Amino acid sequence: MNDDRYKGYREPCLGLLQRFDVGVWYEVRVTTREGSFEGLLLPRSVTSDAHHIVLKLTTGYNVGLRCDTIVEMQQIGYREAHYKIPEQEFPVSRDKPRVKLLGTGGTIASRLDYRTGAVIPAFSPGELYGSVPELAEICNLETDKLFGVFSENMGPEQYLVLAETIGQTIEEGYAGIVVGHGTDTMHHTAAALSFMVQDPPVPIVMVGSQRSSDRPSSDAAQNLINATWAAATGDIAEVMVCMFGPTSDQYNLLHRGTRVRKMHSSYRSTFRTLGDIPLAMVDDGVITHLKDDYRPRRDDRRVKVQPAFEEKVSLLYYYPNMQADMVDALVERGYKGIVLAGTGLGHVNRTLYPALRRAHEAGVVVFMTLQTLWGFVQMHVYETGREILELGVVPLANMLPEVAYIKLGWALGMHPDDPARVVELMTTSIAGEMTEREPHDGYLVFQGGVPEIQDFLQQVWK
Amino acid sequence: MASASDLNRPHLLPPSDINPRTDAPLDFPDRGFGALTADDYRVLGFMSGLEVHQQLATARKLFCRCPAGIRVDHFDTEVLRHMRPTLSELGEYDGCALMEFKTRKEIVYQLERGTVCTYEIDDTPPFEINPEAVEIAIEVAQLFHLNLVQELHVMRKQYLDGSIPTGFQRTAMVGLDGEIPFVDKELGIDRPLRIRQLSLEEDSCREISDIGHRIVFRTDRLGTPLTEVVTEPEMLSPLELQAAARLVARTTRASGRVRRGAGAARQDVNVSIAGGRRIEIKGVSHHKGLPLLVHNEAYRQLNLLRIREELRRRGVQPQWFILPPGNGDAEESDGVLDATAILSGCDFAPLRDSLDAGESALAVRLRGFKGLLLHRTQPGVTFANEFADRVRVIACLTARPFLIHSDIEGYGLEHALWSQLHKALQCEEQDAMIVVWGPRRDLDTAVREIFIRAKDALIGVPAETRQAFPDGTNGFERILPGVDRMYPDTDTPPVPIDDALVERIRLELPERPWEKTRRCISLGLPPDAIDRLLDAPWCKLFDQLQAEGAVAQRITYALEKRLPHWWREWGHRELPSAERLRPWAKALADGEVHPQACEAILDRLLRESDRPAEEIVAAYRSSEGDEKELAELLESIERDCAFLRVKEIEPALRWAMGRLMAAFKGKRTPEELRERAVKALASGGVQ
Ligand SMILES: [Zn+2]
Repeated sequence: MNDDRYKGYREPCLGLLQRFDVGVWYEVRVTTREGSFEGLLLPRSVTSDAHHIVLKLTTGYNVGLRCDTIVEMQQIGYREAHYKIPEQEFPVSRDKPRVKLLGTGGTIASRLDYRTGAVIPAFSPGELYGSVPELAEICNLETDKLFGVFSENMGPEQYLVLAETIGQTIEEGYAGIVVGHGTDTMHHTAAALSFMVQDPPVPIVMVGSQRSSDRPSSDAAQNLINATWAAATGDIAEVMVCMFGPTSDQYNLLHRGTRVRKMHSSYRSTFRTLGDIPLAMVDDGVITHLKDDYRPRRDDRRVKVQPAFEEKVSLLYYYPNMQADMVDALVERGYKGIVLAGTGLGHVNRTLYPALRRAHEAGVVVFMTLQTLWGFVQMHVYETGREILELGVVPLANMLPEVAYIKLGWALGMHPDDPARVVELMTTSIAGEMTEREPHDGYLVFQGGVPEIQDFLQQVWK
Repeated sequence: MASASDLNRPHLLPPSDINPRTDAPLDFPDRGFGALTADDYRVLGFMSGLEVHQQLATARKLFCRCPAGIRVDHFDTEVLRHMRPTLSELGEYDGCALMEFKTRKEIVYQLERGTVCTYEIDDTPPFEINPEAVEIAIEVAQLFHLNLVQELHVMRKQYLDGSIPTGFQRTAMVGLDGEIPFVDKELGIDRPLRIRQLSLEEDSCREISDIGHRIVFRTDRLGTPLTEVVTEPEMLSPLELQAAARLVARTTRASGRVRRGAGAARQDVNVSIAGGRRIEIKGVSHHKGLPLLVHNEAYRQLNLLRIREELRRRGVQPQWFILPPGNGDAEESDGVLDATAILSGCDFAPLRDSLDAGESALAVRLRGFKGLLLHRTQPGVTFANEFADRVRVIACLTARPFLIHSDIEGYGLEHALWSQLHKALQCEEQDAMIVVWGPRRDLDTAVREIFIRAKDALIGVPAETRQAFPDGTNGFERILPGVDRMYPDTDTPPVPIDDALVERIRLELPERPWEKTRRCISLGLPPDAIDRLLDAPWCKLFDQLQAEGAVAQRITYALEKRLPHWWREWGHRELPSAERLRPWAKALADGEVHPQACEAILDRLLRESDRPAEEIVAAYRSSEGDEKELAELLESIERDCAFLRVKEIEPALRWAMGRLMAAFKGKRTPEELRERAVKALASGGVQ
């Protein structure tokens, strides 16, 4: 009770509120040495300092008052906060495909309590219909909230549950699956699902938002609408990520789950396909295929679900002067596999060689990927590369480092005591994580300022 | 002590936008601006207030490190966005938000690399709030004697018109409840001006164009820090409002750390009359046009109330103008008719051209509105414009015109066609009709807006934000947003305001305008000169010269005469430094140069920027050599007169004075020179 009444307030503010017998959601008149203020006493964020109280004024503004300047507080009213979203029934129509939306914890849609500023997540079909009514024109939507974790806390435990659930959902006959996910580790989860759910008959589309849905400029609604189109009617039956193409509100891109990476901390168009072109564009129901080598939708319900994950796996981002004990420490701590993100074509310095040899001899599998992100590991070109190969380090072509990390965790989970099988699995492309060739337009990082790029930017929506 | 049940409900309500007086003065005579006294406005129940926006002269923007105050007219690239209203807890869109969504505008932002970064286009979260801007805002808040808050909370104020790419403006309350002395002898005002609040916020984009479904913005100004000062709505006449606007502007500018020039200060005014409602008029950049603008708005409200009265008298009911919700099917409702076929062969060119181009026309029945659409609301504006404005803005119709109504005679549709529509719509004698045409997809919205406006006519003055036009009239801009659109910015932490900072600013606080007025009076400046000086860009420069009495007056006159002249000539608006002008002021104060030379010296100081000031001033300084030189010149005048046998005094004197003034202007008074010349001429035989 007291926790709620003084929500977020600590000493010395707490004592002050108790002394004047006021709590949060009280309308108060506060007399300070600066003057008098009237407003609604709001809860205090636990990460804010302990010395200020927060009032919401009638004009909607919040202000903070320092408690040592407060002379008196007087209650003049009470206003309850409302956290409920009124639900509207999601309309069902017989001729529309069934789509299942699985929630992992990221906020896909939400509603704002203006009086308190609280963002209330919307997730049930009814709630979603209230905030993204366009969904009803695409499909019959059903939802299932699996966990409530932030993107950065998604891990093996969740991958396994998600993979199992997707398997069941496919068997239940849904036309497609949408997975709502925070964006930070969306590409890790996309990779995990690509290996754990192989050859699905329907699209599995991951989606999130870079601008939260409580903002008018949010990308959430467009992302959700386009992801739902891809899941409901799209022909690509793979694990994909569906996020903004350009930063402009235009179309979404469908990225293959093993070639996609978050490339900007905050841009809307942060997800990019690396070393290849995206699978397709989605623009409000119109899906334009960019690649023809994809796995098409099937009518059967067959799917290979292989949930497994070995947690003692690490991704080591190499830097000049890395010391051998970095590798030794992992081996000593019982790590079973290491993915190196090497420089250039797949290199590390000579000081690591003895440690890599020791790791190999201890049965730890070690793989090489590239911190350049684009391009292939090529360890035969230079002496250094050849030496590293001799240490038992296995090159992984153009597999992205994070994808290799996830795949290794999965492969070791599948074959805990069989390094040879693990190496075989790792060097065999399962879901497009390694490609035979890189197209000329698989690497496009344009440079601003160059005249022809400036001309180009004048002509397209960026 | 209030009982528990009494307290168990909200007491604090947002400021009301209804005029406290409900007795609409319907019989008040129509008179033009200038023909009404302050007392007349009192009878009207006129009330007005101000929101004054002033850009701050910081080096950088408020939430990112882009340079502030740079205007560019080119751009590198464009970004396209849409705005989607977010839901309030009531499950309804904010009225304003909903309206913008109805428009489904394509919003285009033009970006120039030097003036905008990824923050402004909402692709990077805000950086720490600019401490320089916070300091200036605290200074301005102190100038207005406001109660300062001790922790700034950045809020998001929703704007869905696209003027800010995030869809909201970041704004923080800095101070509340202040008072400044409000004295105007001419208007007989001597009372405090109450200031409701001051907030620190980021500026929006510059609108480049708004045509149909596409609105284009330039982003150079976006994110520039500005203060918004809100007065209580206590100004009871247009001239009083103007005086208050000047006072607020002056008080803000007293900081000296605010921007000047076009667009740096803009104000919104709000107006209501008895029976009316607070209407906000946006974007008034000059004080001069304010009185006419609010006078016209007062009469617009009066006329809307008269229309309401007539509608009530006719028994018109609001439920006649409610369309069932739906999409693109308004013409299936009662009172709406697809008139495309009936009108396709009509003689009215704008309508015929539209239909020839494959567009459609809908006819709408306005029950009980006959004759009212021609009712005047503003000079040269009729009630029909209220409908047209709203349809243009919300339904994005671009043709001109795009609607016509049945109250118009002798123009537009032939009588026979109106009769046909009258019949098809099952109209009665008292009804009016509107025909609206354009692309099919926009007409449903258009018809809905016509019905909404008709229903609002029974309210009288609908809550709207309006925009000021140069001719003193105003037009619909958008529905007035509610306070509901404000919510906390989760991207920025609260910013505690340090007591020491507040105290330091307090100690260094610049003079307030009324304090300065008092001081200028004590310096001996005449009131009109003070008035001009306070608004002048060289006000601070004048202070730095530390002049008093007659010299102060001479200096302020010289500055106000010569500086603008110099600016015009040189095409810039730079001020000379106080260092540059100090020798001039000192020489004047010490009586070393003659007052006559005051402006001449200033001119040369401005123009001959590479010559040392002392050198320029020295040329005008009287010295011991002067007297000898003067005596020599007088002697030569005398000699020449004798030689030329000049007899008549007048031409001789003119000729002599010409020579003397050329050599001694600024060093000797004309009177002295004249006296000496007369003497010299007399010696030369001229009498
Ligand atoms: Zn910026």
